Amino acid sequence: MSGSRGKTAISVAGLTKGFGSVTALRDITFRSDPGINIVLGPNGAGKSTLLRCMDGLYRPDSGEVRVFGLDPYYSSEARASMSLVSENYALYDYLTVRDNLKLFGRLSSIDDRATMSAATRILGELDAQQYIGARVHALSRGTKQKIAICRALLSDPTVLLLDEPTAFLDAMASDAVRSLMLRYEHEGRTVVFVTQKLDEVTRFNSRITIMSNGRILKSVDSEDLYGTLLRDTKINIRLAMPMRASAARRTPGFETANSDRPTMLTIRIEDYRGINEALGYLIRHGAYVTSIDFIGPLIERLTLDRL
Amino acid sequence: MENSKAFAIAVKDMREVFSSVSIYGPMIGVPSFFALLLPALTYYVSFFAAPALAQKLTSLAALPASITAANGLIFMGFFSVNVLGPIFLTMPILTASVIAADSFAGEKERKTAEALLSSPISVSELLLGKILASLIPTLLLTMGVFALYGGITDALAEHAFGYAVLPTPAWLMMLATSPLLAIATIGVVVFISAHVRGTKEAQQISTLLVLPVLAIPFVSILGIAPLTVTFFEQMMALLLLVDFFVLYASVRSFRKEALL
Repeated sequence: MSGSRGKTAISVAGLTKGFGSVTALRDITFRSDPGINIVLGPNGAGKSTLLRCMDGLYRPDSGEVRVFGLDPYYSSEARASMSLVSENYALYDYLTVRDNLKLFGRLSSIDDRATMSAATRILGELDAQQYIGARVHALSRGTKQKIAICRALLSDPTVLLLDEPTAFLDAMASDAVRSLMLRYEHEGRTVVFVTQKLDEVTRFNSRITIMSNGRILKSVDSEDLYGTLLRDTKINIRLAMPMRASAARRTPGFETANSDRPTMLTIRIEDYRGINEALGYLIRHGAYVTSIDFIGPLIERLTLDRL
Repeated sequence: MENSKAFAIAVKDMREVFSSVSIYGPMIGVPSFFALLLPALTYYVSFFAAPALAQKLTSLAALPASITAANGLIFMGFFSVNVLGPIFLTMPILTASVIAADSFAGEKERKTAEALLSSPISVSELLLGKILASLIPTLLLTMGVFALYGGITDALAEHAFGYAVLPTPAWLMMLATSPLLAIATIGVVVFISAHVRGTKEAQQISTLLVLPVLAIPFVSILGIAPLTVTFFEQMMALLLLVDFFVLYASVRSFRKEALL
C-alpha cells in the first residue's frame, strides 16, 4: 500500500472495548494524520488496547476501526500494511533470531533471502547484528526489543504502531528508533506512537492525543501540554557548585534548598514561563545550572478538568 | 488461503516442541518404554506363566506340548491386538493433546501470539498450521510406536512359537483410526484453549478422551464387541462424525483473542 502514503491511514469511530467487567476503551473516535501521531496517557489509560484494536488483535465491542478503509480484525491486507512494536516483544524463545525473522518474513510473503538482507541492514542500525544466530531466550530484554523492532520493519510497513518502543533500549538504539520515526514522517507514512513518557513526546513536534480512563480527553500540541502539566507545580533545579543561601532564597518562587550552601533548590512555578525567570535569576547571580527535575507524576495531571 | 503460511506456522510449532526435551522427552520416551516392556511381558505370560497356570488349574494330566504352544500363541495374538492395541491407541490422544495444548494454550501462556496474529495471515491459515503441527508428529510417533511394539511382539512370537502374530487386518484398522482420534483431540484442545489460561488445563481436559479408548479392551474381553475389522470400521465412521462436529465447533468458536 505504498500508494497510500500521505493519506489518512487509520480511522476509529465510537470504539468501545472491554475485558470482562473492565471497560478499557469508551467511545473512542480518532483519525491518524500522515506523520507521527502521539497518544499520551498514564498507565491504564487504554493506549495499548487502542493500538491493539488498530492492529486487528482485538475485535471492538462496538464502533469500528478502519485501516485504509479495511477492518484490520478480518483483513489480512490491512494488517499487511501495518506493523506493531509493543512492550511484549512476542518472540519465540527456543528459536534463533534468524528463524524468528524468517518465520515472520514468510508470513508476510517475503522470501528468506530478502528477509535476511533486510534483517542484516536493520539489525546493523540497531547494533544487534551479532545476535542473528542466538536463541531468543539467551538475549537481554533490550536486545529482544531490537529484534522485535527489526521484525516489524521487515515488511517495510506504511503504518507503524509503536507501544513504548524505546522502553528497554540503550541510548543509541533509542536514537535509531526516533530517527526511523522521523524518516517515516518525512516519507508521508503514518506512525502511531503510544507512550506515558513526557520526554519522549516532546522530542517530536507532533499533535498529541491525551487519553485517560479509556477516553480521549483532548488533542493538544507541545505548548498546550507544557501549559497544562507545568501549571502551579514545583521543580528542582540542580547547580554545579554551591551558591550563597541568601541569594538562593531570593530566587523567584523559592521554596526550599538542600543546605546552607545549596546545590539544589526547589521552586514553585505558576506555569512553564516561571522556569526561565528562575534560571535567569540564578545565572545572573553566578550559578551554573546542570539540570531541572519535574517533581511528581506529571502525566497523572492529565485530567479533563485541568485540560 | 496460502498453504505456505500455514506450513510456516506448522514448522515453527514443531521446531518449538522438539527444541525442548521436557516436552518431547516424555512424549517419545514413555510410549517407547511401554512398547518394549508390554510385548515382553505378554511373551512371558504366553510362553511361561500361562501354561504353568493352566496346569495348576486343571485336574487333567499334563497337556501335550503342541496344545500348550497353540494356546500360548492364541493368547499372545489375542492379547497383543485386544489389550495392547487399545493401550497404544491412547498414544495419538496423549501426544496430540500435549502438542496441541502447547501450540494453542502455550501461545497464550508465553504471550507469543501477538506478533503472529498481527501478521497478515487468515484464521484458516493459522488453524491449519497449528492443526498440522499437532497432527504430523502425532501420526509419526504413533506409527513408530505401533511398529516398535508390533516388531517386538513378532520377534518374540517367532522365537517362541515360530509364527508372527501381527499385523492382523483388525490391528491395521486400529492403527488407521489413530489420525481420527488425533484430529478429535486437537479439535477439543482448540475449543477449550479459548476458555483456559494455560497448557496444563488444556492438556488435562483433552486427555479425558483416553477413557473411551481404554474401555475397548474390556468391551472385547467381556465379549460385548469383538475387535474385528467391522468394529473398527464402525468406530472410524463414528470418529469421522465426531471429528467433523468437534472441528466445526472449534473453528466456529475460535477467536483470535483466545490466544492473547
